[in-house]
Amino acid sequence: MSTVITRTTTRAVVPLIVVVAASLFVQGHNLPGGGFIGGVLTAVAFVLIYITYGLDFLERALLGSVAETGGDPFQDRIVDAYRRLFVFGLALAVGSGLTAMALGFPFLSQSYVIYHDVPLYHEIELASALAFDLGIYCVVVGGLLTILSVVGSE
Amino acid sequence: MTAGPDLPVVLAAVVLPFAAVALVPTAYRLLGTRTGYLGAGVAAACFALLATQYGATGTVGLEWVPSLGIALRFRVDGWGLLFALLASGIGVLVFTYSAGYLHPGRTLVRYYGALLGFMGSILGVALAADLVALFLFWELTSVCSFVLIGYHDDDPDSRYAARMAMFVTVGGGLFLLVALLLLWQASGAVFSSPTLSLTAMIENADAMRAALREQGAFLPVLLLVAVGAGSKSAQVPLHFWLPNAMAAPTPVSAFLHSATMVKVGVYFLGRVRPLLASTEWTLLFATIGLVTMTVTAVLAVAATDVKELLAYSTASHLGLMVAAFGFTTAYGAAAGTFHLLNHAAFKAALFLVAGIIAHEAGTRRINDLGGLWRDLPVTAAITAITALGMAGIPFFNGFYSKELIFVAAYDAGQELGGLAWAFPVLATLASVFTVLYSLRFLAMFVGDKPAALGEVHRPPLSLLVPPAVLAVVAGTIGVAPEIAVGAVVEPAIAAVGGGPGDPHYVVPTEFSPAVAMTAVAIGGGAAAYPSYDRLHRGIGNAVAAAPSARANWWYDRALDAVDRAGAESVPRVQNGLLRTYVGWFVGAACGLALLGYAAAELSLPAIDLLGVSPTILLVLLVAVLAAATATTGPSHVTGVLLLSVLGFMLAIFYILASAPDLALTQLVVETLTLVIFLLVIEELPAYYSDVEESVAVRDVALSVGVGATVFVTVLLTTGRTESALAGYFTEQAIPEGGGHNVVNVILTDFRAFDTLGESAVIVIAAIAILTLVLTRDRGESP
Repeated sequence: MSTVITRTTTRAVVPLIVVVAASLFVQGHNLPGGGFIGGVLTAVAFVLIYITYGLDFLERALLGSVAETGGDPFQDRIVDAYRRLFVFGLALAVGSGLTAMALGFPFLSQSYVIYHDVPLYHEIELASALAFDLGIYCVVVGGLLTILSVVGSE
Repeated sequence: MTAGPDLPVVLAAVVLPFAAVALVPTAYRLLGTRTGYLGAGVAAACFALLATQYGATGTVGLEWVPSLGIALRFRVDGWGLLFALLASGIGVLVFTYSAGYLHPGRTLVRYYGALLGFMGSILGVALAADLVALFLFWELTSVCSFVLIGYHDDDPDSRYAARMAMFVTVGGGLFLLVALLLLWQASGAVFSSPTLSLTAMIENADAMRAALREQGAFLPVLLLVAVGAGSKSAQVPLHFWLPNAMAAPTPVSAFLHSATMVKVGVYFLGRVRPLLASTEWTLLFATIGLVTMTVTAVLAVAATDVKELLAYSTASHLGLMVAAFGFTTAYGAAAGTFHLLNHAAFKAALFLVAGIIAHEAGTRRINDLGGLWRDLPVTAAITAITALGMAGIPFFNGFYSKELIFVAAYDAGQELGGLAWAFPVLATLASVFTVLYSLRFLAMFVGDKPAALGEVHRPPLSLLVPPAVLAVVAGTIGVAPEIAVGAVVEPAIAAVGGGPGDPHYVVPTEFSPAVAMTAVAIGGGAAAYPSYDRLHRGIGNAVAAAPSARANWWYDRALDAVDRAGAESVPRVQNGLLRTYVGWFVGAACGLALLGYAAAELSLPAIDLLGVSPTILLVLLVAVLAAATATTGPSHVTGVLLLSVLGFMLAIFYILASAPDLALTQLVVETLTLVIFLLVIEELPAYYSDVEESVAVRDVALSVGVGATVFVTVLLTTGRTESALAGYFTEQAIPEGGGHNVVNVILTDFRAFDTLGESAVIVIAAIAILTLVLTRDRGESP
């Protein structure tokens, strides 16, 4: 499906998607968005690249991995990276819950602080839920890309 | 003497065996076959810990699931202690014996692990005072015994026996579970809220009985307890697994048959006896027990294998104990508790003797054995003491408890009259056969040694000391019963709820009905002994002639039928076609969901069509149109695109229904799904092939069913207009979670555990796909 139109569109759209995904992730606590949707949107950007330029381009040129198509997916460095990503995400999510336990609260208790007089932003809120959300984000991105890479290379 | 028990000590005694399981692999590397001595050490430690609680009475507990009222409660009293001390005490001997008996091998790690777990579960059952904990330990004993009976896992007989023991005892456990739940429910009427504490129920036994009767649950509870305890304690007609269980290594048999698992049912009956004792109780359990006692004693005479004889005899003695607890007099309670002690002492010793015979003579066939006393003099002495105890000969330990059951049975006959006179008759008849097979067992040691029997070695000390210790215990009880009675039996009788009457524990010097029954039993047994071989053959032929009269035959039939049904249904459900799997899965899910709604008697809320805005109607109309056209589309691509239209319309609907989060997710996921579909479609034929009419009808019915289920589900779950929960989340989102987006605050703050679970699902899906692709490349899956 590599036509001029799709290639041009992809080149323009992918950065936008990534930025939107990032903003969705960050604003999640107060506006529509969050880790899950941000993760899925990030995966969409990768899918778009994959469809337009192919898996080899995505994995070799863009992510700097040596893709061995047709080989053992467990040996594939890119799949390995995705796998590490979702394992890290799961660990982060569980870890954020365990931290609460270590401080004497029930598992997965969350809290937040609001900083005032921050330059540019004036007021910024830092919620511990953000760490949990980041974990979810990593799980979604890692999991979806693993599926995509393995199924796509078939 | 009424000091309360010490929680750390009791807890340590129960937990120690389980903790020691973790040490077994290391111990086996360091010690080899001598790992048995480690187990013996653990058992001795448990014994010592429990012994420090001697004289204490009371309930101690540890919170477990406080929100459900489940606690790890332990009840320490004479009855629980007697049983726990027996299990750990005989555990010491069995572990010691195992060290000398078993050959080194990889499976020893599993053996010792399971045996330790087995002992721990028995201690748990003996002391548990919480229904949940009791049931948990109860089933753990079944699981551990499954592993132990199937120790020779390359032997089909072993596997058959292990599976049978598992089916019967775990299956029976489920009946017990229902009984426990009924008790729990009835306790709600007695206490302010339902309790799981068995101690509390027993302390309010009269009120509990009244509540059970009022709810009509008394008889069901009795019957369920009878099935549960009967399956565990091998009562007719569920007795057949016990003789099969002799496939286990001999030390396990000694432990399983004499001291522990099979007595758990009896133990439980003793435990709930004060709670459920009544006329129905007597009729039910005295009948079951005495019938079992007689039937299995007769079958024991037909046995050809040493261990088979002992196994049937075990079932017979368990019947005696069950019947004893059935009688509500003090004689019944005394017979049950005292015989539990006596039987453990002589039967464990006899099993260990059987192990010595098998080990040193190389055969277990009774007819091939004889004159063993010349080669095995000490073993012969042990056997004499214990086998005469088993027969109930005066001045041997079994005599006293058997005398008590005679008195209890005679009294019950006199009190209830009529058919109840069968109780003393059955008890006497069974005892005649008991004397018969006990003498036959002893006869292996006397007379001439058959020529075919080769050289018989002396057993090593580790095999000889454990049965010798048990014989000394049995012998001491026989000579001076008042010591054991005063020390452990009387506190136990108090705990199982004695009743009227004052039992005595001496060899009688005056005539009484019980003395007459004893005389008939011993005299009859001795008189019939010369024609033992004819009886043995006659019973054997009778059993062989009528296979359908045997419970084992029914078990095999039932299992075969299940096997066949499984073999026939699998190709229909799993035929390798993905669409068949989806069909069954989706159909079953819908059926279950609709059944669930029907069972919960939910009613559909009214739909207010007028309140829907024209915009939403338009969007939904487009969605329905897209869905309808998707079914008539000429190719896969059209179908997928039309379905996407449906998905995007839903997203717009979410926006209109002020759920921007959902809409966003729906849009992105829909896009992703569309793309993945398009990727897959490249591999499929472009156009549909013709479908058979029957297939089309089936698919239409299925899809309509799925649609209807989803429709009903949505209506039921969203029908509520007012929800306190929604208000709570909206109000608390900012102060508690610090976020203005309620949905996200719920996801990350209030219901973070759910979100965590969902992300774990994504991880599992990714790993599953990786594994699937990997195994296919290796040719491990079709």
